[in-house]
Formats: sequence, C-alpha cells, structure tokens
Amino acid sequence: MKKKKNLSEVNRRDFLKNTSVAAFMAMMGGVELTARGAAQTPQPAGAEAPLTQIPSLPAVNYGVIGAGVWGRKIITTLTLLKNDSQFKNTEVVAVCDHYAGWLNRAGDLAPKAERFDDYKKLLAKPEVQAVVVATPTHQHRDIVLEALQAGKHVYCETPLAHTIADAKDIARAAQKAFKQVFQAGLQDRSHPHRHFLWPFIRSGAMGRNVLVRAQWHKKGLWTRNGNTPQRTAELNWRLDKALSTGLMGEACIQRLDGVTWFLGGPKLGGRPSFVTGFSSRILDNAGPDVPDTVQCVFEFPEGANSGVHFLCDATLCNSFDSEYEMYYGTDSAILMQPGDERRESKAWMFKEDDAPLLGWEVYARKDTFGAETGVSLVANASKQTALTAQGAAAPPAIEPIQYSLQSFTANAGAIAAAAKDYEELFGEADTPDYRAKLAEARKFIITQFPAAGWEEGLEATVLAIKANEAALLKQRLELKNEFFEL
Amino acid sequence: MRKTIDNPIPLLLMASLILAGPGALQAADATLEYRGQSSNTTVEIQGTSTFHDWEMKGTSIGGILDFPAGTVFDLSQAALPGLKDGSLPASGTAIIPVRAMHSQVAVMPGVMDGVMQDAMKETNFPRIVYHVTELKLKTPHAAGQPFAFDATGDLAIAGITNKVAFPVTIEPMDKGKIVVRGTASLKMTEYKVPPPAPNIAGLGIMKCGDDIKVLFNWTLMQVPPKQP
Repeated sequence: MKKKKNLSEVNRRDFLKNTSVAAFMAMMGGVELTARGAAQTPQPAGAEAPLTQIPSLPAVNYGVIGAGVWGRKIITTLTLLKNDSQFKNTEVVAVCDHYAGWLNRAGDLAPKAERFDDYKKLLAKPEVQAVVVATPTHQHRDIVLEALQAGKHVYCETPLAHTIADAKDIARAAQKAFKQVFQAGLQDRSHPHRHFLWPFIRSGAMGRNVLVRAQWHKKGLWTRNGNTPQRTAELNWRLDKALSTGLMGEACIQRLDGVTWFLGGPKLGGRPSFVTGFSSRILDNAGPDVPDTVQCVFEFPEGANSGVHFLCDATLCNSFDSEYEMYYGTDSAILMQPGDERRESKAWMFKEDDAPLLGWEVYARKDTFGAETGVSLVANASKQTALTAQGAAAPPAIEPIQYSLQSFTANAGAIAAAAKDYEELFGEADTPDYRAKLAEARKFIITQFPAAGWEEGLEATVLAIKANEAALLKQRLELKNEFFEL
Repeated sequence: MRKTIDNPIPLLLMASLILAGPGALQAADATLEYRGQSSNTTVEIQGTSTFHDWEMKGTSIGGILDFPAGTVFDLSQAALPGLKDGSLPASGTAIIPVRAMHSQVAVMPGVMDGVMQDAMKETNFPRIVYHVTELKLKTPHAAGQPFAFDATGDLAIAGITNKVAFPVTIEPMDKGKIVVRGTASLKMTEYKVPPPAPNIAGLGIMKCGDDIKVLFNWTLMQVPPKQP
C-alpha cells in the first residue's frame, strides 16, 4: 500500500544533509551521502520513510522569453515543478517568441500562458513576476536590462552575453536591482550532488590538486534550416563568429564554471590566469567560420593551484564519453558525470595505493571501470541502500535544470515576499535598512536553495569568451583581473 | 470564506477613527504617534520539544503606537504625564510577518520554518497582529529605570484573537526613539495552533511543547507632528 505523505514528516537524510561532511560521516558510519533531490525520488518498499513535505513557497508567475528547443524545455520543467508541493504555485503566465511556429509550440506546453511576439509587451504585464531569458546569447543584454528595469526577477541563460562589455552591463544592472533576484543559468550551482561534493573535495580528500580534465563531446551539426533565408540566418547565429562564443561558450560553460568553482573560485585561487587555445574544423559541423573541435588549457596563478592545468575540450565530431569532469589529486582522482534527462549526476573516487584510509569508503558501493574500481560518491549508493533497493525500478532522473529553476523560484518568491512585508510595514524608500533586510532574507533562502548570481555568471562568461578567443587565435591569452571586475 | 487582510495598518487607523466618532480627527491631532522602525528591533519565540529547546528569531515588527499629547518619557522623573487612573491611554498595533520569523536550528532551518508556517496557517494569516488597549504604569517608577507597564490588548495569531496581558517597559532613546521591551507567555493551542510534531524518520517524532514565550525589543520613532 502506498504510504500516505505526512505534511510534517521530515526525512532523516534531509534533516542531516546540511551537517558537515565529517559530522555526517561520523553519524552515518560512512553509509550514504545524500542531497536535496534524494528525498524527492520514489523509495522502494521497506526503505526508510520518505519525503519532506514543506508548505508551498510563495507563488511565482513566469514569463519565458525565447521559445526555441531550450526555451520549451524550460517551460516543460516549470510545469513539472508544480508536482512538488513546495512549488505548486508556480505558473507560466506568458511566453514570447517573434517566430510564430515556436510561439505556438510553447503556448501548447503552457495553455494558460498569454502569447507575445515582442518581449517588451510581455515585460509590460504586471502579473509576470519573473522572466527566463532563453534567447540567443547576443540578445540577452537588452532583454535582461529592460526586465530588471521593469521590476522582474530574471533567470538568464549562460553565457550571459557574447562580449565582456555586455556581460558587465548585465552584471551591473543585476547588482543594482536589490529588490530582485538575478540568477545565471549555471545549473550545477543549484545541484545538491555538487553541493555534497564541493566540501568533500575542498576538505582535501584528493590530496594536492595535480590536474583537471573536462570534456563535452557530442557528434552533430550546429547548422539549422529555416523556411526562409532570413529565418535560416536567425537560426544559425552560433555559426557567426561575431555573435557566437563557440564551443567553449555554448557547450562548455557549465564545465568551466564547475571546475573553477571546485578549484576555489576567484577568492581561493581557482580563477585561471592564462588560457591557451587550439581549434580545428574537422567536419565543418559548426559551419565554415566556427571550429567544431576545440581544446583549451587554463593555467592557475601561484597559490592553492600552483602548477595545476585544466584541460577542457569539446567537439561536434565524436560523442565518446559525452560530458564529464576528472579531477586528479596526489591521493585520488574523482570522476564527475553531470546529470541529464537519462541519468542522475554521479561521481566516483579512484584511490591511489598509497592514499590514507578515510574509513567510510569501506562501506560505500564500488563500481568497476575497466581495470579500475571507483568508490561511488553519489546519493543512495551505500552497500546497505543498494541491497534494499534490489529489484526496485530506478527512480526518474531529476535534471539539473529542474534544480536550478527550483532555486530561482524559491529565491524569487522569498525575496518578493520579504520586499512586500517590508514595504507594507516600513515604506518603499530605498534605505540601508531595507537593503539590509532583503540581504538577510536572501542569505537565508540561498543557503537552502543555492544558485549562481551575477558574480558567478560574469566569471564563467568571461572565461568562456576568452577561451573561445584563445581557441580561434590559437594563442595563449592572459586572463586579467580587470576582465572580471565591474 | 475568510478574507485575508494583508496590510491592516490603514484599516486599523480607519476603524479607530470611525469608532472614536466625530471628535476623532481632533483627538488624532492630540496624540503623539510613534512608528515602528525596521532597525534595532528583534523578536524571538522560544519553545520546547522532546528533542531540545527551539527558537525562532526575526527582526521585523511594524506598526504604530499613539500616546496622548504631552507624554514625555523622561526617566529622571518619578511620574509620567498624561496618566488617567494610573494608565496611559495608549493605542496602537504591532505587526509581525510570520514568514520573517526564522528557525535557529543549524540543520535545515527552512524545514522547521515551513513546519511552523504550516501550523500557523501562514497562507491565510500571514501576520501576527497585536492591538494594545491599555498600558497601566507600575508604580512607583524608579528614576533612571525604564517605565514599566502592564500591557493589555488583543493578540491575533492564525486567525484567532485572544485578550492577553504581559509586562512591558518603555525606554526613551535619542533622536525621538523609544524601545518597547516585553515578554509574553502563550500557549499555541489557545490560538488553535497544534504544537508541531514533525516525524524525523529514524530519529522519531520531535514533539513541540504547547507553551511558548515571545520576547521582543521594538524600536519606534516619533512621527513629527503635521504642521497646520
């Protein structure tokens, strides 16, 4: 019999999930390492009582601007959020695309949404509280600036822009809009599995960092065909060197962000100081002007990552091994696979023979990769859970974009509610008190629903733009701090 | 269907004027209005449970307090001008947004916030509203100490209003500010709020006690009188 969900039932895993890794492992005897999403997946019969049910978060009405493949994916994901009691008040109330065919398809996915062929008309609707900008990269700047000006919360896909100047304009506007939430579409920043792995890696479990590799391999064409020459030109903006950030921007930005974040980010020596690029047109799968195969090597400054090189490569000419990040340390290597619609985000640790015993890994599930054995670093992967779960159907994968939009919805709703409370009690004037109260509310909600803001968005966008430039020039370029600063 | 009043301040002001009758406008002129400030204010709810004591904290109390014209909170004086039968004819309203109260547990504070918001029916009743009806001065007043009162008023939580009485102090600060401090002992069930009992699987049911204590430091600033 299906167990009835209790509104006040709190899963022990969720209760413990935010404790430190050390405390967690001590309490759990090195059993499993879990995260936010684990509570949302169906549990096999006999497994631990499921589900945290938290009362629904404030309602957020969305407008989605850009109804291409990714824009429609976002609409579908937003409608999926309603299945979670916390996000049941999420609505897509408006969709926009200037191309009628895509607009109709988007409208079919969100039947209650009003359809617009001009984003300015959508932004004029007061009932739209938050917008997702999923247009071609070079169109982001104007839309984001006008959306923030109109008082909307903004989720902007990454790269934020195709030039550093535009990215900085977006970052400045987002910084100024203290009553609104700006989220950069860096999905891993909201992924619970990543937030489990980050302290694990930063705690030194790998030993000293040696090198990092990441890849994005997907064989396919970037060329698109429209029903008119003008439409074809619009669809093929990624093939235009003046508008495209190339494979480094359009395909690898999540990896660039993930790796530099895990290496410490700008504050802890994880901002590269140089990038060297290589590129080729093997099959012309990105047209005659944009390389279809790219490799970039990032160097890090003196400090925590002295001597570490990060190799990132991308190709449209081979699909082997798809996407991953591989971190090599003196004690172990860690392989991370980002999640997608078919699989959850996963990671494994491969220990060196002379590495110290951590203890908990004895209890963890092991997976074999050729001659290597990896200790699973994924939720629900202990031997105990594996035994309990035998015969149970695999739970559906929760895609990274879903976590990302959950965070945006929670943050936008919470900040809007805090602003409403404040203005009703103390007035609308922009005072230091008002800013402090909203900053306090933001700090509270972001710890529960982490997300990339304008700082992370700008950082990753600059890395992608400069890496693309280095690849096109086949040169070594300095990544000056001024590129990242407003 | 119960209607939710998001912002009760204008309505309360209007109701006060209507109830006070034709002399209301004149009476309104003859008051000193203090308005709640967003800074230097704290409110804390303390409770118990079968696991451990718990607390929720916030920093937002909005609202107004009106005192008779001529009221001067001078700590050096033994008496307080404007008293009638030992009471200060004050009126006013304090408002606390439920969602601005946050659990102080180190682990998953959001879950505990959600449990409490659910218990307090936050969706329908997003504000805790207290309407003060009487401030009776405790005598004798010791010079140099804050003025101490027994406050009586109506407290509305989760749609239920009860008369409550608890001690408060009023201390004048610089620049026309006062700080009202107090502690109120309440029972959740008196407001039909079931003491939360979240079931933390594997650890058992964390059953909260019925008794809670509300402690507050509310900073208000005098609103300059309007020029005729």
